[in-house]
Amino acid sequence: MPKMSTSPEIRELAARLIAHESGVGKSSEGTDSAALSVYKKLRQSISAFAGAAAFESLAFRALMQAQSEAPRLRAVQITEDGSIEGLAELKFQIGDDMDLAGEEGAILIARLLGLLQIFLGEALTLSLLRDAWPATAIDDRSSGNWRKS
Amino acid sequence: MKTEKKVTINKLPTGVPGLDEIVGGGLPEYSFNIIAGAPGSGKTTLAHQFVFANATPERPALYFTVLGESAIKMLRYQQQYTFFDPAKLPDAIRFINLSQVVLEKDLGAVLEEITKQVEKANPAVVVVDSFRTMVRRPKSDMDLQAFIQRLALSLASWQATTFLIGEYAEDELRDNPIFTVADGLFWLRQTTERNSIVRKLQIIKLRGQASVPGLHTFRITDAGIQAFSRTFGLTARAKKAVAQRRLSFGVPELDKMLDGGVREGDSVLVAGSSGTGKSVLATQFIAEGTRIGEPGIVAVFEERPQAYVERAASLGLDLETPQKEGKLTVLYLRPLDLSVDETMQSILDGVQKIGAKRLVIDSLAGFEMALSPGFRADFRESLYRMIFALTGIGVTILSTVEVDESFTEFPFSTYSISFLCDDIIRLRYVSIGAQLRKIMVVIKMRGGNHAKDIREYEITQKGVVILDTRLEDYQGLISGIPAHTDPTKKDEAPSDRIPSRK
Repeated sequence: MPKMSTSPEIRELAARLIAHESGVGKSSEGTDSAALSVYKKLRQSISAFAGAAAFESLAFRALMQAQSEAPRLRAVQITEDGSIEGLAELKFQIGDDMDLAGEEGAILIARLLGLLQIFLGEALTLSLLRDAWPATAIDDRSSGNWRKS
Repeated sequence: MKTEKKVTINKLPTGVPGLDEIVGGGLPEYSFNIIAGAPGSGKTTLAHQFVFANATPERPALYFTVLGESAIKMLRYQQQYTFFDPAKLPDAIRFINLSQVVLEKDLGAVLEEITKQVEKANPAVVVVDSFRTMVRRPKSDMDLQAFIQRLALSLASWQATTFLIGEYAEDELRDNPIFTVADGLFWLRQTTERNSIVRKLQIIKLRGQASVPGLHTFRITDAGIQAFSRTFGLTARAKKAVAQRRLSFGVPELDKMLDGGVREGDSVLVAGSSGTGKSVLATQFIAEGTRIGEPGIVAVFEERPQAYVERAASLGLDLETPQKEGKLTVLYLRPLDLSVDETMQSILDGVQKIGAKRLVIDSLAGFEMALSPGFRADFRESLYRMIFALTGIGVTILSTVEVDESFTEFPFSTYSISFLCDDIIRLRYVSIGAQLRKIMVVIKMRGGNHAKDIREYEITQKGVVILDTRLEDYQGLISGIPAHTDPTKKDEAPSDRIPSRK
């Protein structure tokens, strides 16, 4: 079976959301916390319109996909209510390699966004994100519209 | 007594083509409505169309999903419809999932959550999908009744028009308190008739305004639901005053037989067996109309439009130019699963689009075959509604019908529809000498004089041509096997008697 991956546009969007959260947190908490913050916002937003169970299913699937790309994410778990455990601790396990830590979180977020895109399409996914983040965090894409991964 | 103004109930567009007419002009604002039906009957799609037609960022729609269809999957599928505008989410349309509250708490908590969201958003429209799953296990009937009552009151107070969607069976209509509280009750049905699916919609209840009673056909296409009113959307329109103008057939001798032509707004039936020239006559009628600037519609069921136009060209009748000029529409209606209402809608759309004055239905047998089997049983009744509606707006209809040739009877139609027609022209074969010749007679012309003559005609390269010479020397022409009054005389061949045309 071919390995599925997210498109560069979605990865870029995930990175931008994390960067935005990182900026909001004034980088005091680091990039993994920013990824966690993105995750929490997505959880809140998706659970509100689709229910916690729907979010948990998506998040679990996203994590499984992300783990094949970033094995360190095997330490991360999704609980029954859709919250995530182990993502914040990940950076301490990999020491000072902050870029790598940021990448692990971005992979998970990108996978989650990728699933949303698959099920809801680009337009609705962006609507959902615009509801949770200011437009500037979503729309200043240089790569244009998303394309199929 | 002082006259004071009554409250005005605004009517909101349903977003469903054809449904506004059925509900009496639109859905009453602030009404509390139920959409009921079996799974797959189109309930969610109907609610979505209403939501997309009415929600604005200032007065958004709140769409509560409960247990049942996942909101993600619902949106995945619903966005395939053309009415679905993603730009309306989330500012104008907000989806809120209530599963957790329903699963973990009681109806009071559900009401509290809905109220909280409504207070926050000030919505114009509220949908609960599926309401049935929310109230499946109330503690008691009183508990359910109180919940519905409070929900209806609360949403009306917040000036929201509400839809509760539920999978209800028709036998629940009597006992379920929700149907008592509701202002509007929309019931969607889906039945299988042989190999075809027939979808029907009924407005069982609608407070405050008159809806069109009965079952209305609807179809779900890429554009969503389209409803077809039993009255074809014509009840709201003023009857058109039809002048008693005479319309030419394009066959001078036939016009004379009709005392100057067909009266405008009449329904004409041309009946005859195969090959007698019904379609030719119909084509001449429509071509004559376009020639003098009267737009027309031809609804064909047995051949493709291009073939129809080419056949007309072989008779020297140009249908291609009026088509290009927008004066003629040849409708080919997809066969086998149509309802009369859908066919009517297509014809009406055509009539409105080009301002058609003449309509040809060629043929009624083809029309019947194009219908879903479930609609064929009601064909005569449907035809009555259609003819009544169209002639009411001044369209002159010519229908062709094939009748079995009999040499002992003289039937007008196999559908017993002659009472629907103002005028009947009968074509038939007669056996004279060693030839099968053709005769034409005007059987009926409601409210007008017509020739009583039985005229012989030929189908030539210029279409139907009525011969000058009368078959006065024959008796029993309509039997198909006439006898010469003077058996000693030899029969005259018709080809010697074709009149010259201008």
